[in-house]
Amino acid sequence: MTDQTSQAELVRQSLKRRYRKERRFRAYGVIAIAIALSALVILFADIIGKGSAGFMKTTLNLEVELDGEMMYLDDATDERQIKMADFVEPLIQALMKELPSASESDRSAVRDLINPYASVTLRDALKENPDWLNTSRSMTFLAHTDVDVFVKHAGDSAYSIKLTEQQRDWVNQLVEKGVVETSFNDTFFKNGDSRDPSKAGILGAMIGSLLTMVVTLALSFPIGVAAAIYLEEFAPQNKLTDFIEVNINNLAAVPSIIFGLLGLAVFINLFGMPRSVPVVGGLVLTLMTLPTIIISSRAAIKSVPPSIREAAEGIGASKMQVVLHHVLPLAMPGMLTGSIIGMAQALGETAPLLLIGMVAFIVDVPNGFFDSATVLPVQVFLWAGSPELAFIERASAAIMVLLTFLIGMNALAIWLRKRLERRW
Amino acid sequence: MTDQKDDVYGDHISHKFNSELNELKTEFLKMGGMVEAQVEQAVKSLIDSDAELAEKTRLKDKEVDKLEKALDEEATLIIARRQPTARDLRLVISVIKMVADLERVGDEAKKIAKLALKLSEEGQAPRGYVEVRHISEHVLHMLHDSLDAFARLDSVQALQIMKEDKRVDEEYQAAARTLLTFMMEDNRNISRCMSVMGVLRALERVGDHACNIAENVIFMVEGEDVRHTPVEEAEKIVGG
Amino acid sequence: MNTMNATVTSEADMSETENTPLPETKPAEATIEEGVTVGQPFADDAKFQLRNVEVLYGENRAIKNISLDIARNEVIAFIGPSGCGKSTFLRCLNRMNDSIDICSVKGSLQLEGQDLYDPKRDVVELRARVGMVFQKPNPFPKSIYENVAYGPRIHGLANRKSDLDDIVENSLRKAGLWEEVKDRLDATATGMSGGQQQRLCIARAIAVSPEVVLMDEPCSALDPIATAKVEELIAELSESYTIVIVTHSMQQAARVSHRTAYFHLGHLVEVNDTNKVFTSPEHELTESYITGRFG
Repeated sequence: MTDQTSQAELVRQSLKRRYRKERRFRAYGVIAIAIALSALVILFADIIGKGSAGFMKTTLNLEVELDGEMMYLDDATDERQIKMADFVEPLIQALMKELPSASESDRSAVRDLINPYASVTLRDALKENPDWLNTSRSMTFLAHTDVDVFVKHAGDSAYSIKLTEQQRDWVNQLVEKGVVETSFNDTFFKNGDSRDPSKAGILGAMIGSLLTMVVTLALSFPIGVAAAIYLEEFAPQNKLTDFIEVNINNLAAVPSIIFGLLGLAVFINLFGMPRSVPVVGGLVLTLMTLPTIIISSRAAIKSVPPSIREAAEGIGASKMQVVLHHVLPLAMPGMLTGSIIGMAQALGETAPLLLIGMVAFIVDVPNGFFDSATVLPVQVFLWAGSPELAFIERASAAIMVLLTFLIGMNALAIWLRKRLERRW
Repeated sequence: MTDQKDDVYGDHISHKFNSELNELKTEFLKMGGMVEAQVEQAVKSLIDSDAELAEKTRLKDKEVDKLEKALDEEATLIIARRQPTARDLRLVISVIKMVADLERVGDEAKKIAKLALKLSEEGQAPRGYVEVRHISEHVLHMLHDSLDAFARLDSVQALQIMKEDKRVDEEYQAAARTLLTFMMEDNRNISRCMSVMGVLRALERVGDHACNIAENVIFMVEGEDVRHTPVEEAEKIVGG
Repeated sequence: MNTMNATVTSEADMSETENTPLPETKPAEATIEEGVTVGQPFADDAKFQLRNVEVLYGENRAIKNISLDIARNEVIAFIGPSGCGKSTFLRCLNRMNDSIDICSVKGSLQLEGQDLYDPKRDVVELRARVGMVFQKPNPFPKSIYENVAYGPRIHGLANRKSDLDDIVENSLRKAGLWEEVKDRLDATATGMSGGQQQRLCIARAIAVSPEVVLMDEPCSALDPIATAKVEELIAELSESYTIVIVTHSMQQAARVSHRTAYFHLGHLVEVNDTNKVFTSPEHELTESYITGRFG
């Protein structure tokens, strides 16, 4: 009896120690997650803080006097005349009208408030509507990037250094008058890259990414799944297949830039494919995602219960039928999930694409697989490296777009898995 | 088969099963011993004209009946719980059948005791008791041997008992003829001789039951049913 | 009963002493002679004729020189302790061991005079003739209809939809499942109860009209009611099929089979009429196994 009680006492003492240990262990976990979460929150806060401005643009609402005399233009349908005409002057005049304090000597300072591309906008408008000549029109033009930055970050002196004190004063007057306005930046989603931040958009990079992903998916999914099926179902167990298996697993761990070098050496130098095109990017990313897809597909095939396989074989299904009718449909959710995760990885990849020239400055939105293009992460890389303040916020905005795509793809993966998963 | 002995029922994985079977066996032997003593005492009371012993013997039958019920219940439970097969199944089935035989033997002993009471009340000179003693010795021997054969799982001994039974039948025929002569000699002997005849008949039945037990022992050991088969065939089964 | 219990200990002691004076001879060591099977391993009307069968897993001999006939329309039960090779042997009969690389089968295995392991023999055709039902109910995660229709479809047994419908209905009827599922043929099979799933697997196996149905512990995952239904089904099927059943339940073997084969460490120790095996087996090892004396 005494033995028993003392034993119970011992257990009770050890229990306390055990509980302490457990609590400590749980605390470590909570701390780790808290650190990870706070890092994530900081990252998001930073990106969203910087990037949200990138989704806005600053415009000037001006009443433009399209005076033919002032513009050296008397026939708006004449191509040659239009080319020669002065479209800057009407803009300056219109803005001067809004700024009573500006004298004739401030002309250049006033001009610097208007975006250099505003004259092009005006020219295009007139070209389309030649009858506008010698009328007065109310139009919206992009403000100069420096004005844009100043307006968006009003009160932050770091963002106003590019403007003189007089200019700042003017801008404030214009804002009060409602001439300067900020609105949603649709150009960001409509344009390709540009040297001028206010004209720069991510459409080109998005299309480039899309084309590259199409190539990657079209190649890596069938090849990866086929390889996985062969290795799991048909390959004999020998040294060679073991060797292949080890190598596939190793490939998954190879730094992505190595794949870029490989792509450069093989696809561009050996096969003579053009640089910076989505096809080559897709090929390189295919190489990179293949191991991921093969490994996840094999895992998915392995997870198909052997009893299903046996059942089919027992009825007399051939190996091929077993795989096509039973194993593949059951493994498909896993394969799709793996592939989507692999694609998401590829979508966020920069390093290998730098090496095959997809880092070039490309203004045009690509029209096909063989057009020069860049991709979202590379665009981010380019803008983030640029010295202009306006590009920094564009980079953050692009990151947000990229993240949205990645989250969307992951969500799709989860949804697919939930949707297609079958219980047996 | 004779070289595999008693622990054939004792090496199951389940120890509980072992003890259940063993219990069944020992209880059966206990009942056998009881019935054996009952027959012996009944015959003794008859020969010694001991009314008191006869009465005691007659009452002992109640105990035997109680034991019979207990054994049957135990056997039923074993079947229900263990679903015995092969050797175990044969043991349980045989025990159920042999218990019935033993109970009948007990009844016969009761009958003898009753007749002994009746005869001792009449108090006349014994006639035909020599035959009774002779046959009873023989039959008791058979009964004892059959229980022994069961305890030892000895099919050879059991076969011997089957053969003995023939001899008992012959002896019974002879004794019956002798008693018939007594009755013809003197009419007054008739009622008395009829009682002795009843005793002889009861003893002959005891022999038959002993023989049944022996047959069941052979079934238990060899797995072949030797009832209603000629002794020669039974010999073949036991020998092979 | 009370009196009995009370006397247990004392009586047990008594029996010990009672038994000791008997001659002290040890039970004869039960021996197995390789390639020798006690009882009646051969049959006149043999569906399967198996002679000197050996199965090797690499170096390990899983089946040691077994010869056996399986008669037409008989139910034969394979029993034996775990790892005795009964399942391995069963799987030889429709070459389910093929997919295991290190497994090799030697000896002569004939189905109606044709060699099973003839390299030219098509295993798909063989499996259409020798169906199999597994330990765990393993319906495909498809509809009930699709489960049964799958076999006939891949073997091209039905050209028209109506033919296929007939086959499905007949198979389900034979499996005693039709009444239970006829209104929900499109329901997924994995939603059925375990017993129904197993009967569906049997329906699926007989849908391709096999000659032989192999069953590998078909009731080990089922409750007693479902087991009883499957056993009932086996009894009905035995009229038109040859059935080979591996089971761990000796009572089941006793109930459903005509003959019982006892396997021990890769040997086929005894094959006999089931009634004989369960009342008076010939071999000492068989007896020990079925009476629960192993260990």
